[in-house]
Amino acid sequence: MSALLTTPPPGGATSAPLAGKAALITGAARGIGRACALAYARAGADLLLTDIGHDLDGVPYPLGSTGQLAHTAQLCRELSAASVVVTAEADVRDLDAVRAVVDGALDRFGRIDVLLNNAGIAAPSGKTVHDITPDEWELMLDVDVSGAWRMIRAVGAAMTEQRAGSVINVASTAGLVGYRHFAGYVTAKHALVGLTKSAALDFAPFGVRVNALCPGSVRDDDAAEGRMLSEIARSLDVPVAEHEETFVAAQPMNRLIEPEDVAGAAVWLGSDASRQVTGSTVTVDGGFTSR
Amino acid sequence: MSDNENYWRHGDCRNHGDHGDHGDNGETKTMNDTGRLCRALAVCLHSGADPERLGHELARLAAGARLWVDDIPGGADTSLAAVRRERELSRPVDPRTGPGMRAVLLRYTDGTAELVVVAHQAVAAEPYDLARALLGEPVDLSAWPGGPAAERDERLRAALARLDRHPAPEWGLGDPGDPTVGQRRLTLRAHGDVPAAVTLRAALGLVLARCTGRLEVELGVDAEHEVAFSAAPAQTVAEYLEQVGRARPAPGGTPAVGLVVAPAAEMIGGTGAKAEPFEVRPFLAPLHPLSLHLTDDGSTELSGSCAYRRAAFGDAAVEWFTGMLATAHRALVTAAPDTPVGELPLFDEEQRLALARLGGLGRPLDVPAERIEQAVRRRAERSPHRPAVTCEGEGLTYRQLDQRADRFAAGLRSRGVRPGDRVGVCLERSLDLVVVLLAVLKAGAAYVPMDPAYPAERLAYTAEDAEVPLVVTDTDAFPKLDGVCLVGPAALDGPHPQPSPDGTAHRPSPQDAAYLIYTSGSTGRPKGVVVPHRNVAALLAATEGDFGLGEEDVWTLFHSSAFDFSVWEIWGCLTTGGKLVVVPYWAAREPAELAALLDRERVTVLNQTPSAFAQLAQLDRASRITDSLRLVVLGGEPLDTRPLRFWLDRHSERDCRLVNMFGITETTVHVTAQIVTRGAALTGSRSVGRPLPGWHVYVLDPDGRPLPPGVPGEIHVGGAGVAGQYLNRPELTARRFLPDPHAPGPMYRSGDRGRLLPDGRLEHLGRLDNQVKLRGFRIELDEIRAQLLDAPSVTAAAVVLRREGGDTAGARLDAYVVLRADGSDGSRADAAQEVRQHAARFLPAHMVPSTVTALPALPLTPNGKVDTARLPAPLRGPSGSAEEPAGDDIESRLRAVWEEVFGFRIGLDDDFFALGGNSLLGVRLLAALKAAGLPGFPLPQLYLHRTVRQLAPLLAEEEVPA
Repeated sequence: MSALLTTPPPGGATSAPLAGKAALITGAARGIGRACALAYARAGADLLLTDIGHDLDGVPYPLGSTGQLAHTAQLCRELSAASVVVTAEADVRDLDAVRAVVDGALDRFGRIDVLLNNAGIAAPSGKTVHDITPDEWELMLDVDVSGAWRMIRAVGAAMTEQRAGSVINVASTAGLVGYRHFAGYVTAKHALVGLTKSAALDFAPFGVRVNALCPGSVRDDDAAEGRMLSEIARSLDVPVAEHEETFVAAQPMNRLIEPEDVAGAAVWLGSDASRQVTGSTVTVDGGFTSR
Repeated sequence: MSDNENYWRHGDCRNHGDHGDHGDNGETKTMNDTGRLCRALAVCLHSGADPERLGHELARLAAGARLWVDDIPGGADTSLAAVRRERELSRPVDPRTGPGMRAVLLRYTDGTAELVVVAHQAVAAEPYDLARALLGEPVDLSAWPGGPAAERDERLRAALARLDRHPAPEWGLGDPGDPTVGQRRLTLRAHGDVPAAVTLRAALGLVLARCTGRLEVELGVDAEHEVAFSAAPAQTVAEYLEQVGRARPAPGGTPAVGLVVAPAAEMIGGTGAKAEPFEVRPFLAPLHPLSLHLTDDGSTELSGSCAYRRAAFGDAAVEWFTGMLATAHRALVTAAPDTPVGELPLFDEEQRLALARLGGLGRPLDVPAERIEQAVRRRAERSPHRPAVTCEGEGLTYRQLDQRADRFAAGLRSRGVRPGDRVGVCLERSLDLVVVLLAVLKAGAAYVPMDPAYPAERLAYTAEDAEVPLVVTDTDAFPKLDGVCLVGPAALDGPHPQPSPDGTAHRPSPQDAAYLIYTSGSTGRPKGVVVPHRNVAALLAATEGDFGLGEEDVWTLFHSSAFDFSVWEIWGCLTTGGKLVVVPYWAAREPAELAALLDRERVTVLNQTPSAFAQLAQLDRASRITDSLRLVVLGGEPLDTRPLRFWLDRHSERDCRLVNMFGITETTVHVTAQIVTRGAALTGSRSVGRPLPGWHVYVLDPDGRPLPPGVPGEIHVGGAGVAGQYLNRPELTARRFLPDPHAPGPMYRSGDRGRLLPDGRLEHLGRLDNQVKLRGFRIELDEIRAQLLDAPSVTAAAVVLRREGGDTAGARLDAYVVLRADGSDGSRADAAQEVRQHAARFLPAHMVPSTVTALPALPLTPNGKVDTARLPAPLRGPSGSAEEPAGDDIESRLRAVWEEVFGFRIGLDDDFFALGGNSLLGVRLLAALKAAGLPGFPLPQLYLHRTVRQLAPLLAEEEVPA
């Protein structure tokens, strides 16, 4: 067939670019995860939303709760009557729990088209590299890198057999550049970018894509119940307002990233409009890492 | 998993997205192997929609299975309901990660409820049984497959893998890289007493037989079974239906197409429940590359769908396929029982017309009502002083050409030539040739060109068959024939007494024959194709604008006037005002000379056979031969585009258009045109493009019935170029020139194999008579040739079938290749062996040539086509071992050394240099002589003693000790 006759990427211009696709989103109770879940629902996807549902020893702030997860699901259903939305609690550190979530998604949907690895923690942080304790170090890597790997491991068989699928690892600008006093987080996010590239190569022959999404400083949006920036400020022991100002000043676009900005990129990476995009790091950072 | 998450209810019932009506909501689906083994059923629950009871029953039936309950914010007849229902019907279940079945209760705001059941084949026999059991009907569970599901799943997946290993049919026109699945809805009319399961199978059999060209039809019924039957055309409809009805599913086979005809499911009425099945899916993804599913609910309509893998079937091919199925089914169920099956149409009138339009029918062409010499005269009047023809330094302007041809025409008339006569012309390419041809036309006669290189017998045959009273020739070799007057061109010049006008004289018209060219088929005597003036005018009208032909163009006359490529060269140039550069005999034989001429004369329009052009392109690889060319027309032979990429690297498509034209003498030189792009060359496209405006093509099966795009058959050509007759051969004319079904005038049955593409381009797949049979296999020689050309070291290739001693058992395929000169020292025989190994990797064993012989160049006919008769016998037999020399005399030993150096059989009188020898090979010859214990000789002696017979005495002298 000549190039002129090939079809344009499907879904590019439709209002429901994810119609008929089933997506699994981790860390969906609030923040970027909630924003992505809403955007996915609006795009027509069926959803399995997960979060941990309880706090973790060693993480100095409360994690996504069962109630918040249920609220995200309810918001999604209100947005899209065509979508089936189910929830499940899982700790991405637990291999069996991860397996059960994926099997549950397959049981309900028969397929998984998108895995959005969004679960992650930003703290414990705020220490000079040599002051980090072994437990703090291992917890950070266990959640932020190994958690994503466990999810990829669990969906791999289904996605490769489908010969289609999109894995989106929510990394960070911390996956691309260093930050003072965030060695554990920066290490974990850099590793996640590395995992993205390798997994992309492994899966490419099967038509499965893997990309990293690197948000910059995302505003703590009330509707999304986000608290990332506050927690980072707290780790650094600075007032949130001052911290926000510092970050805005560092953004070439001169404003903080909204959760919806990240969700927009996540919809695109999950849809067939990005069918030739794999192994890439997509930054949504207002130009921060381009300096 | 939290348990109650999918119990939900809210007031917002906005429906997002622009979803379609019946579930076919434009959602892109990719292939899913699990879905191929799953079946789904939707039932409307009139009562019994009690989630608690259903959940309880489900848990009892299958451990680990849970009931999903979804409340839909809308009525059951809304588009939202359709989307949700379709999504549930499309979701596979996998016994490896769960219970292998799923039940979803959909509850609508209007109070209705539906149950969607999906079950994997390894787990449950039928979703229908499962639904019945769920709704409290007594179901015999022992009928379900026993044993572990994992084992059955593995067996079924192995069956799928076996199906998938079978290559996709070429006629499906799939895109191997496309992982998506396509779907078409299908509605057919039921009629008569024969069950729809039989009539559908039978109709599908007719369509498949047409598409595959095989009467034996195999049709998949599930992952592991198929039915097979014969669609032989002679049987009656009654016999055929009886045979199809008798066919029983058997394991094995790798059918490309599967069919499931489901009876309408019955009402379910268990304890406290009443339910009506309304949607049955025997598979969720196409089980076979193309899987049809229709439901026979006893009404007059059979509805269903056709799902297909786009990797194997293109959307357009499936559209044609389902269209044919509908027509075939209608014809089959309404035909009288004693109708022969072969008479059932697979296309209705509308489809036939659509096919014809796809083949180019109906594009208007404005052809001036003008004879060739009138068009040339018009040029002479408009631009009298522009150069018309040149040859080796001599030249004629348009006025000079016109006036000289007028004088020659008078000379012809004075020798009795009258309008309507035929005049033989046997001249080398020269100014005189062009003048004489024009003069013959001016005299109102048709010219019969003959190549002076032809054997005397052929010349005599042509002159006699064409009944020419006069032959213009300057060769003494032309045979003397009774009643044929020979005259030299010089004798035609000068003042001639004009014969008194004949009252009955024919008034010349564009309908008259312009020329008669003899073509030799693979069988029978050469026959004269009579081509009228208007055909040539049509050819120019069809191409002049697109090719931008005009006064600034410089053409070559490269081809023999006996080859109709020259018709295009001469009249294409002279009726559009260009300058025609006659390529002398010696320059046409030597690519380097031709290259020099092209550059010297600033030629803009060059016409070549692919074989001849390959030699030119090879020279061009060493150094760019010219920058003047703007149009290269390739024709006269099937083109393999791949070797052209090197030319296209050097000559951009913007500066020089490369056009591949498929054509036939009987259709006036050309039929189609395809611009060859670098992309096409890289992919080895076989497209010869769309027909020229005014020309159209049909692809028909051996019985003359139409074939859909993608299916190869015999190319038939209709329209402005069709010659219409062979001279004095009414029987052959009637056989080859058939009535055109869609246009006035005849269509020509070409003997070429080809297929239409859905965009209207034609793919040329070789000559039908190039299909040979070897040990029972039907083999396409062109396919082998294409594979040889695929080897990186090969620039040209030919394959012939040889029968030694007329013995079919001794028949074998001999291949010949020209290898890229890359300066490597490896022997040609080794390189040829590598080419053979390359071919063996891709071709089935019976298609691998027994021998591959490397030649310096392929021998060409005077027309520039590969001359298979002159290909040497291979040196090595099929065993691969060199044969022993015939004797130990010096001549035999010397010949053996020559054969070793050249790599093929040679004769005692073969000229070293004519065989492709050069000084490098000469040095190799000396080394080989030494190795064989033969004396050497000073290399220049080789120029004096060029054959084995001449060289042997020289060596014999040397061998005698002084």
